Amino acid sequence: MSMKIPESIRELPGAFFLRNAIIVSAVAGVFLLINTQLEPTYSFYLAQAAMYATAMFGMVILVGLSGQVSLGNGALMAVGAYTFAITSMNWQTVPILGLPWNAVWSVVTAGLVGVIAGLLIGGLGARLSGPYLAGLTLGIAVGLPSIIYRFPSFLGGEDGFALRVPFPPGGYAAQDGGEVSAADAAAEEMSNEGFEDFLAEAGGDSSEILEFDQEELATGETPLVEDEVLEFDQDELSLEQESTPDLVQDVDGESPPAEISESEDSFVDLVDESAGVIDLTGFVIEQWQASLAVVMAAIVGFIALNLIRGNQGRIWKAVRDDPVAASLVGLSPQSNKVSAFVISGFFAALAGAVMAQIFAYVGPALFGLTLSLSLLVGVILGGRSSLVGAMVGAAFIVVLPKAMETFAQQLGWEDRVADNLPNLVYGLLVVLVVLVLPAGLVGSLMVAIRRRTQR
Amino acid sequence: MTFFDHLLGGIASGSVIALMAIALVLVWRSTRVVNFAQVGQAMFTTFLALAVYRGTGNWLISLIAAILAGAILGLIVHFLVMRPVRRQDGSGAIIATFGVLIALQASASMIWGVDPQAYPPIVDIIGFEAFGRTWPFSRYDVLVLGVTVLLVLLLSVVFTRTSLGLRMRASAFNPTVARLSGVRVSQMLALGWALAGSIGAIAGVLIAPTFSVTPYSFDILLILAFTVAVIGGLDSLVGAVAFGIGTGLVLSLVSGYSDSGNASIVALVLLALNLLLKPEGVFAHHHSRSV
Repeated sequence: MSMKIPESIRELPGAFFLRNAIIVSAVAGVFLLINTQLEPTYSFYLAQAAMYATAMFGMVILVGLSGQVSLGNGALMAVGAYTFAITSMNWQTVPILGLPWNAVWSVVTAGLVGVIAGLLIGGLGARLSGPYLAGLTLGIAVGLPSIIYRFPSFLGGEDGFALRVPFPPGGYAAQDGGEVSAADAAAEEMSNEGFEDFLAEAGGDSSEILEFDQEELATGETPLVEDEVLEFDQDELSLEQESTPDLVQDVDGESPPAEISESEDSFVDLVDESAGVIDLTGFVIEQWQASLAVVMAAIVGFIALNLIRGNQGRIWKAVRDDPVAASLVGLSPQSNKVSAFVISGFFAALAGAVMAQIFAYVGPALFGLTLSLSLLVGVILGGRSSLVGAMVGAAFIVVLPKAMETFAQQLGWEDRVADNLPNLVYGLLVVLVVLVLPAGLVGSLMVAIRRRTQR
Repeated sequence: MTFFDHLLGGIASGSVIALMAIALVLVWRSTRVVNFAQVGQAMFTTFLALAVYRGTGNWLISLIAAILAGAILGLIVHFLVMRPVRRQDGSGAIIATFGVLIALQASASMIWGVDPQAYPPIVDIIGFEAFGRTWPFSRYDVLVLGVTVLLVLLLSVVFTRTSLGLRMRASAFNPTVARLSGVRVSQMLALGWALAGSIGAIAGVLIAPTFSVTPYSFDILLILAFTVAVIGGLDSLVGAVAFGIGTGLVLSLVSGYSDSGNASIVALVLLALNLLLKPEGVFAHHHSRSV
């Protein structure tokens, strides 16, 4: 650890938090600086990686420190994303402390609902060990889309909600109406691009439902979710036009701008013309999204760092390694397992709120089993007890699909093979890492460095 | 559709859930691992069987191919992944099975694509006609039920009446003592994985005609089989069969009276209730489940 700092300084009150704050702001500052120099596409990757990292910090606490394998954190992200979407669409009229409702309140609400969801799942799972907990959370991940379909008016059903993200605060004020809508249109166009990538990565949707109705079976009619997703994937513009006005709502509380009802051609024209307009703010939408995501990851990372390096981290490890010994010294295994779930629920919900912002959309297709699995995969690859490992894992699950895509394109492989290559590599890597490097890439590296320095 | 009709319609799907749960139970018995990749293995062998069926046009040959492939795949997973991982803590094994699941689903998508494929049934899938109406029970359902009953009987005879079954039960119950008594425990564990792989493969082929086969369409079966196996106590074949068919009936009623999309929610509710009320399972042989 910090060997050179004298003991007297290290024991000053607040020194612990101060040191963690310095570490986190340094890391976040570097990423924010890098972000200003990035191409929009790479900024969007950064935004996604930061969003995954936010959720994975919770996975580090849950899976790494408290030893509970959860496949439900994608569902907890969905809780955050939906809370964010619904509150920012419908709670515009609710004033907080005399100020109008804004996105920050939606994020806070999302976090609080995430805490409640974490408490529910954690309370249910605290009595369970290993496979039982994994199975229960797996059930939640697989069942979630069906729950969303249940409430088409409240949760948007299969189509989900398209959101309009406020960007950046005050950025529109200096511009006249036409340019505003142009920038807006560009924002949506670009974030949809990223969303398209994301859906493509997600591959097959896992919300396929067993059909038990014999008559339907006989005719061979099985409704497929994939079709819906593909349809949506191919043409976001048509979705915009098809969706009823109450689905496309403005986060700013404005009525949906006119260009939505305009023809596709003029929409595209607007986007093309807007290339220069966005630069007026000095910041393209992707960079704004990435900054949001990095700041959120920094806040969550700071909380996580304090918890992990502090007393609570030791308590979680004690409960994980020996529940009997832990309860003999007065630590309750049950409540400390629940607390890990609550924290990871909080983080996952905040990550979900960021996700809603950067994709400008929430829908069941985003929150399939694939999301929960990739969170687990990322944490295992990076190192399940390390925050740096979570960051590496997050970068990995964003970069690997793109790298594989380029790789497969160069070799001229079929789409079918190329699209599923990342998942195959994930699966094999997870098995390999569990077998060869159980502490993950970063964790094992740390162990190796520590051994070398001690020699 | 009457209440009775819905019950009748649930028997066949319940049998398949029961078979899949039996596969989970066999692996749990032999290695104390819940194999979350089991359904992925079944999906993969179902695709293989479909390819064989398209090549040969013979349903029985495709079933035999699935059984063999299931056993081989089970052995591969056991020897390449689960045996090396057995010295680690519990979560390592769980995560490894998910890794296998992801890899299997990705390879199946690569080889066969994600478009739904139809697996033709060997016998009539339209319900019997009697007393002037069509009943929600077909020749195919009879076949599924028959195969399930036959397999369960066969397994119980093997486990309770043969020396091989005794050795398998001994290795599962207490590997150390079994090894001291001269049982080749590692062989028995491998046998458990192979057997589970074959039974999962049979379940896959049997359920395939009743829904579209895609690399991801078996996910819901995983939840259902896991739920059933856990409610049954994870080491009880009787429990797996009873609750498998019971769950089939409940799901049939639910989808009859509300919506088939509720299947996974029902499974989730059943699982949560069981884990809250009777976490050691209803048919568990011994109460070894810890915190």
